[in-house]
Amino acid sequence: MCRMQVKRLKKVTLWRLGSLLTMLFGFTQFQQLTELKPFQLTGLAQGTTYAITYYSQREIIQKPQIDSIFSRLDQSLSIYSPTSLISRFNQSATGVETDMHLRQVVQKSLAIFNETAGVFDITVHPLVNAWGFGTEKVTTLPDSATIKSLLACVGSEKLRLNQNWLRKTVPCTRIDVNGIAQGYSVDVIANYLEKHGIRNYMVEVGGEIRVKGRKYPQNTPMSIGIETPTKNEFESASIQTVIEVNQGAVTTSGNYRKYRQVGPNRISHIINPKTGYTSQNELISVTVMAHDAIIADGYDNALLAMGLSQALAFLKHHQNLDAYFIYQKSNGAITDTATAGFYKFMR
Amino acid sequence: MTALAGLAVVGSSAWAKPVAKADVIRLGMIGTGARGAGLATLIQKMPGIELVACCDNIPEHLQKGMSLAKKGAKAYTDYRKLLDDKSIDAVIIATPLYLHYPMAVAALQAGKHVYLEKSMTYDIPQAIDLVKKVRESNLIFQVGYQYRYYGLYHRVKEVIDQNWLGKITHFECQYNRNSNWRFPVSDPKLERAINWRMHREYCGGPLSELCAHEIDVVNFMLNAHPTKVVGLGGINYWKDGRDTFDNIRTVYDYPNGVKASVTSVLSNAYNGYSIRILGDKATVEILRDKAFIYAESTNNAKGTVDGVTGATLAVTTQGKGVELKFGEPGEEKLEPTTYALQDFFSCIKTKKQPISNVETGRDGSISIHMGNAAADTETVQFWKPEYAA
Ligand SMILES: NC(=O)c1ccc[n+]([C@@H]2O[C@H](COP(=O)([O-])OP(=O)(O)OC[C@H]3O[C@@H](n4cnc5c(N)ncnc54)[C@H](O)[C@@H]3O)[C@@H](O)[C@H]2O)c1
Repeated sequence: MCRMQVKRLKKVTLWRLGSLLTMLFGFTQFQQLTELKPFQLTGLAQGTTYAITYYSQREIIQKPQIDSIFSRLDQSLSIYSPTSLISRFNQSATGVETDMHLRQVVQKSLAIFNETAGVFDITVHPLVNAWGFGTEKVTTLPDSATIKSLLACVGSEKLRLNQNWLRKTVPCTRIDVNGIAQGYSVDVIANYLEKHGIRNYMVEVGGEIRVKGRKYPQNTPMSIGIETPTKNEFESASIQTVIEVNQGAVTTSGNYRKYRQVGPNRISHIINPKTGYTSQNELISVTVMAHDAIIADGYDNALLAMGLSQALAFLKHHQNLDAYFIYQKSNGAITDTATAGFYKFMR
Repeated sequence: MTALAGLAVVGSSAWAKPVAKADVIRLGMIGTGARGAGLATLIQKMPGIELVACCDNIPEHLQKGMSLAKKGAKAYTDYRKLLDDKSIDAVIIATPLYLHYPMAVAALQAGKHVYLEKSMTYDIPQAIDLVKKVRESNLIFQVGYQYRYYGLYHRVKEVIDQNWLGKITHFECQYNRNSNWRFPVSDPKLERAINWRMHREYCGGPLSELCAHEIDVVNFMLNAHPTKVVGLGGINYWKDGRDTFDNIRTVYDYPNGVKASVTSVLSNAYNGYSIRILGDKATVEILRDKAFIYAESTNNAKGTVDGVTGATLAVTTQGKGVELKFGEPGEEKLEPTTYALQDFFSCIKTKKQPISNVETGRDGSISIHMGNAAADTETVQFWKPEYAA
């Protein structure tokens, strides 16, 4: 190989300098792209799995860097860790001083709370616990008196975010950012890759994805499969639809994996923050595309809770979002639909 | 039963409600060894059931039984005398296998309802004949396969019916232990009476004493009996004078090519009791009081896309087993045999034949004997049409 390069160098000296420069320039750019190789990082975080693929000429980022990002995020946002910042907020009577992660997540959450007229609400935590989807194990269903007393703690209007302080107006208010933190984590990692000069990547945490560029050496768009809902908690899902996205975030919220079986009843994990009861509608899963994963992830839950017609109406006024729905028709058949913008990405 | 006609139908939760004195079932226990004593302990907590007589010919065992019986209960060493007592409504027979048939026949002749411990009979002709005798008798006859009454198995059957496993092709059953399977003997004269499991004169070895449950479970899950069986067995590890196998491996063939391997090894205890049900979508593994589902990771198109978006998967659901929940949340989990006994007493009151009855018991026993015969003769054993007349 060395010898060949020498030969080629000799040859090129015969060429005219001008054409040599143009050729060399175009050639190296092409060569740089074809030399991109995939680097893959996978692991466990936030109670689920993550998978990162970035395309680069050499290894730029390694697993310990990613794992330390996750551990920073946990220290801030994990309700499963009793010493995390969010847990300290939940235990406190009045509030805590935030860090960057908690501030950004709460800020976006409050914005989505307002935008969705309270359908998305991070203060729903006490109800989530009472219905058995939280950190505490419960064996019975809450009665109406319990729900009534918990509702007094619920409502994002009881939160105040002023610069670095997150305060609560009622001591019993607790927050749970699980519906949005994964999307946020995806953004944090995607931004980290970009800061390191990576322009082609896919970041996936627990089924929430952000993607940029193409994959190499094939030089083709990256494809994302949308899962077919499964009947039960263990069945491995197959792919319902495949989309190709050059840049942006795709997240999914589903009613099919998180539920409690109490006797013959399936209790949905979607809780109406206003009534305190779980709600059930025809939607089985909602996949949202947006610029950032935090936005997509925040809205997928809200859209799922709204039900199909309200969600479609909402999306008419929110052009920054596109969505794909899998739902059950009144005759029991499972079908899908999407916003016009979403169809463009389907393969 | 000392009760009267026109009794209200009692549900399966019968014993939670107090039963009027006249409705008391008077029970006799024949064989108060390990199993009999265990059953008597459970019965003590069941209202409306009185253990009024025990029979055993090992004095310590009889004493143990009497200590668990109702005050004033009668002790017997001859079971025929116990059966002569007209005030007894029903008997439980928990003796070594070779005594099951003569004792059950005598009990039916004496007009007693019978709870006969598994496995049902010592050989095939006895199994077939017992079916006839029960049909003629008008009495309730239950065989001690308690897993048919256990919520865990009902849940497994339910997920099979809902096609969670896809097409089921195989069962893998094992009932292993790492011990010589002998019990201490205080008086050398009692050696064979206590360690009857070591001898073919008294039972069918590991297949009739251990794997019997699993064979019954396969029959139950498939609603069928095997059509043929191959097997190999031996005494290769515990060469201590026993003449029953210390290891046996059989493969049963069921309709539609479903196969069930049934194994017992007495020199390894890893996952001692386990039944794996293999479907093309998932596997269920049933252990003593738990079951797990393992999904197959085939049918997805994941290989063809770069990423997959979906509702968050908990780590535990990927590749690892997911525990199959059963029963109501917070519901007390009772010993499976409690449910079986409750149902026996309820069947006596409602005059219904139990789920684990003489026909399912016959199928179990014939399967066991076919398996042992396959290993003994090293030839395929076929289910004969006359078995299920
Ligand atoms: N369903 C289950 O899970 C389960 C569990 C254990 C045993 N069993 C079954 O229960 C039966 C007994 O097993 P075990 O472990 O209690 O054995 P065991 O040897 O401890 O008890 C058998 C008893 O029967 C007595 N007996 C023998 N001949 C008798 C006779 N002629 N009259 C009266 N009593 C007599 C013996 O003295 C002994 O006390 C077997 O059929 C076994 O398969 C079932």
